[in-house]
Order: sequence, then C-alpha cells, then structure tokens
Amino acid sequence: MLKIENLKAEIEGKAILNGLDLEVKPGEVHAIMGPNGSGKSTLASVLAGRELFEVTDGSVDFQGKDLLDMDADERACEGLFLGFQYPVEIPGVSNLYLLRAAVNARRKYRGEDEIDAMEFMQHVKDKAGVVGMDMDMIKRGVNEGFSGGEKKRNEIMQMLVLEPTLSILDETDSGLDIDALKIVAEGINSMRSADRSTVLVTHYKRLLEHVQPDHVHVLAKGRILKSGGMELADALEAEGYSGITDEAAA
Amino acid sequence: MTQPSPHIDHYLAEFARLERSLAGAAQDSVARERHARLKNFAKTGFPATQQEAWKYTDLRALEKRRFEGSEEAPTVGEKALDALLPANLDAHRFVLVDGHFESSLSRLESLPDGVTLRSVAQALEDGDETVTEWLSSRDDEATGAFGEMNRAFVSDGLFLQIDAGTTLDRPLLLVHYSSGRNHEFMQHCRHLLRLGDNAGATVIEQYCGDGEEDHLSNTITDVQLSSGARLHRYRLQEESRACYHVSALLAEQARDSVLINHSADLGGRLSRVDTRSHLHGNGATAEFYGVYAPDKRQHMDNHTEIDHDCEHGVSREAFRGLASGRGRGVFNGRILIRRDAQKTDSELSSDALLLSPRAEIDAKPELEIYADDVKAAHGSTVGQLDEDAIFYLRSRGIDDDGARAMLVASFADELLGQWAPEALQQHVRRALLTRLPDGARYADFA
Repeated sequence: MLKIENLKAEIEGKAILNGLDLEVKPGEVHAIMGPNGSGKSTLASVLAGRELFEVTDGSVDFQGKDLLDMDADERACEGLFLGFQYPVEIPGVSNLYLLRAAVNARRKYRGEDEIDAMEFMQHVKDKAGVVGMDMDMIKRGVNEGFSGGEKKRNEIMQMLVLEPTLSILDETDSGLDIDALKIVAEGINSMRSADRSTVLVTHYKRLLEHVQPDHVHVLAKGRILKSGGMELADALEAEGYSGITDEAAA
Repeated sequence: MTQPSPHIDHYLAEFARLERSLAGAAQDSVARERHARLKNFAKTGFPATQQEAWKYTDLRALEKRRFEGSEEAPTVGEKALDALLPANLDAHRFVLVDGHFESSLSRLESLPDGVTLRSVAQALEDGDETVTEWLSSRDDEATGAFGEMNRAFVSDGLFLQIDAGTTLDRPLLLVHYSSGRNHEFMQHCRHLLRLGDNAGATVIEQYCGDGEEDHLSNTITDVQLSSGARLHRYRLQEESRACYHVSALLAEQARDSVLINHSADLGGRLSRVDTRSHLHGNGATAEFYGVYAPDKRQHMDNHTEIDHDCEHGVSREAFRGLASGRGRGVFNGRILIRRDAQKTDSELSSDALLLSPRAEIDAKPELEIYADDVKAAHGSTVGQLDEDAIFYLRSRGIDDDGARAMLVASFADELLGQWAPEALQQHVRRALLTRLPDGARYADFA
C-alpha cells in the first residue's frame, strides 16, 4: 500500500524529516507516536502533498505509483486522505458542496460520470449519521463556526464519504471529549477492511484503546526510532518519550 | 483659460450634426437644456487624473477616440440577444439597442394598473409634459463631464412611474445592448425611476454586448423615491471588452424610503460608475452592494456617495473586489453625515482580493461626519486567497483551478448570494465564474 524509504524533508532550509522508513500493508492500522516537534505532522503534510515542505531525498511508493510525483489533488484522487490536525474554516463553501465536488473530482479522475444527486445525498446522510452530524451542519460553510470536536468529526465524516484506501489522521483525537473520541473511533473502525489502511498520528494512547493498531512506531528527530505493537504504546504512556528516545540515541 | 482641445471640437461638431435628429428636438426647453449642457462639457472636456475623483482613472485613451452617435439602431436577432440575458428570468423587459428603444425585443404587455412605462424618446415625440419637464429641469446634480455629455446627447431611455401604493408585480429587466458593430460609436441613455408613496419595484439594469469595435456607453439613472417607497435596483455590467462604460445612479430619497442597490462589474475595457443617494427625508435607508472583478487589462472604478441629510437615516455599504491579471480596481466610498442628520446609522466595508502579482486595487472609505449623535463604522481589507484553504480543498481531490474558483465564488457570494430572484443570482454567479480558469464547472456553487 505505502512504502516510504529514507524520506528527508525540510522547510525553509530546516530539516524536519531525516531519513524516515515506513511500510504500511493493505488492511493494516499503524500508529505513529512521538513528542512535539518530532516531525509527525510534517510527515502527514508531506504525504498529502503540501508544497510548503521540500522533499530533499527518499521515495514514497503508493499502490505502485510514485506518490511524490503527484499533486495534492491527484494523491486524493488516487485514494489518499489526510485528516487535518487543524481543519480549515471556509465560510461560503458548504460542506455539502465541497463533498460533491470532491466525489465528482474522483469520478472524473477515474473517467466516471458525475454522481447522481439523490444517491449522493443519501450517501452523505448515512455517513453523517455515523459521526452524529445532522444535515443542518452539513449545509453550513466548511467547518464554519464548528467547535474543535465538531471539526474533527467532520474530518471523519469526509473520510467516510470519500472512502479512501489510505487515511492519514493527524492528531484527530486531540481536543476531543470521551464521547466524541468514541464517535471518531467508531468512524475509523467502520472503515477497516482488508484493502484499506490507516495511519494514526497521535500523542496519546487513548485513541488506540478504541482503534487497536497493528503496529506502533515512535517518531523522533525526523526518523522512526522504534517499532512494535500495542505494548510500545503502553510503555510510552508509562515512561514517557524520553526513555525511548534516549535508548535509541545510545 | 482652458486650452482648446481637439476632442472637444469633435463633440461640438458631432452635436451639430446630430442635433436635428435628437429626441425632443422640436421642443425648445429640451433643446435649450441640451445646448446648456454641451456648453458645460465644452468648458472642461474629459476629466484628468489631477482631479481627486479621477486620480486613479486615466482617460487619455478614451480621449483619443472620436466617438460618434447614430440616429437609429442596428437590427439585432432575438436569439442573439436572448443568449446574453439571464435564462428563465420571469420579468418585464425593456430593451435598448445602441441607445434606442426596440419594442420588438421588449416584453411589456400586462403591466399592472398604476404603472406608467415609456420610452423617453417616444414621450418627447409625443410632447409628454412630465418627461419634458424632467429632462429640462436644471436642479439635478451635476456629474461632471460625462453627466453633461449625457444630458446634451441623450437619445432615449426608460421613464418608469409607479403610482402610490402600487407594486410592480415582476422585476423589470432593462437591457442595454451595445452592438459594437460601428467603429467608435457612442450612446447616451437616461432613465427615470419614479416611485410614489409606498410603491415598490425591482429593476435590473443589464449592460451587455458582443461587438469588437470600440464604443462608449454612458448612462444616467435618476431615481426618485417618495415616502415609504422601496426600490431594489440591480446593475449588471457585462459589456464587451471593447466598451468604455460610464454610468451614474442619482437617487433622491424621501422619508422612510428604501433603496437597495446591487452591482456587478464584469465586462468592459474601462468602467466608471458613480452611485449616489441623497437621503432628504427622515428614516430613509440606502444600501449599496457591489462586486467588481477586473482581469487582464480591465479597469473598473466605483465611486459611491451616500448623503445623510436627515435624521434616523440608515446606510449599509459593502464592496468586494477581485482583481486578476493586470486588472485594476478602484473603490471610493463616501459617506456624508450632515449636521442635522442625527441618529444616523452607517456601515461601510470594502474587501478586496488580489489574485495575481500585477493586479491592483485602490480602495478608500471616506467618512465626513458633522452630526454628533451617530453610529458610523467602516472597514477595509486587501488580501490574497488563503493558501491553507486551497491546500485543504486540494487534499480532498479538487484541483488548483477548482479550489481557487470555489474560494473566489465564496468571496463574491457574500454579496451575490443576496441577488434575487434566483434566476438572476445564477446568471451573475455564472458570469463571474466563467471568467476563471475551469470556473464554469463550479457555477452551480451554492
């Protein structure tokens, strides 16, 4: 599904990713944990195609294609989805309009006709129900006036509607209360299947208790320092990042 | 002593050539007024950038043209015209072709009682006293050289009177079609929209054309609102790129009257629009909203003035500019609150987006307040499209052109979203979006 080799990226001359390797197979859920400033969000942005970051070395293969060679919108049409840590408010563009434009962009990319309006509406209604959003919210401007938790639920709703093959969720759990966390986790779990993969970027273990990952990685100083299973997340929660990063540095 | 100028000589000669064929030529009062106005024009010629009100709008290219009037309109096919008008708009229709009323293209049957609607030229031919009196009156406000030129050369226009308590049942679409077929052609139209006490109407002035020859389109719309009258007026400027578009709205508002004026400037090579209202009765409301979108080498200048001359007046004004290519926009919004205009409530905002490095917008709110118990707020912003928002949309699969079109549409829709009826709103949104790369695909926005 996704194979990252020796990825290096910088912003304004400052190196953020320093030779990162990661492989995600179909059907797997990976968690990437790490301290602030370790490069987690940069990794998510670079994979999604944010041009602010310059990739200086390495390769990323996505379903047999060179991901780094594609524009952000092509990556999305190929089946990649980024759940934003800070979803953007776009007053005046309704959630519904954005979703229809996004669905039709994918269909156009694949050479298909535009989606039937009735079918689309039912699809959105179903998925909004999963994350507890009503149609009034869907008709409002993108994230316009949404609370932090509502914005994150909206990200998950978009993911459910767009049905990506690879979802990268950047701190989707931050700023959520317990109930919202469960709703978001249910949304993520509902997408799990043999041909879809998920990468969860997070600080904390609590989301991982609801969405059991197959692999857990520790990212620090722009590289994967340690990989393991759920026990690694437990160890991090108990001992903090310093133990792991010191150990790896030794 | 003003230097003699070749362009002034040209227009004096042009007037002499046309004089006998101009509407109302047989009526002394009208003819005298034309002469007086021509004299005023000849004193100054076109304004120069040294004048504060023309600081950003350079007319030297226009001055080099030798525009000529014509006595009659060319023939225009109904289908060709229909293609330019808002689709599915249920409206009365008054069509002017190159400055002359064209009854065969107009749809004026079934007007309600209490509504008088005439071609200005026909009314003058018939010796209609109301129209003659209006066109001969000396007390109307001067609007500089173009205003004088218009009053000297006016060929035709719409006279609309709505009696007290009457509401026009459907919008009136007032079409100004410029053929652009004759080289350096000019037209001067003048309209009067007069609403009696508590009368109501929606009037849509559309300016359109598809010709490629340089031409000048110069229009004045007089509005007179009696107590409690309500007018929704739209100005939709979609002239061809060969057009120099000049127009003015001059409104007089009595007690508790409401004027809501929406405009969209999309076409033309150069446009200059003056929108003014004088609130001379207590509790009158004026709302001016405008979108202007110069691209390539277009120049669009909007000057507005709301004159609060009485108590408890309300004014709302919002203009939004979208400049791309080497387009240039100018907005000057003047709010005057006179000493006796206590309890005035006024808000003015100007927002502009620069979509290319060479685009330019000069925006200036101008508040002049002499009363001490008023609310007056103003704000002005100039910015660019939000790159975070563009990336967000692209991360959802929408390409760069599409993301930009959606953000432009949402910026303009803050104002265009208020256009009614729906068919008109869709038309103006589509007209704006089809100018953007791949924008037509997003015309179903909202």
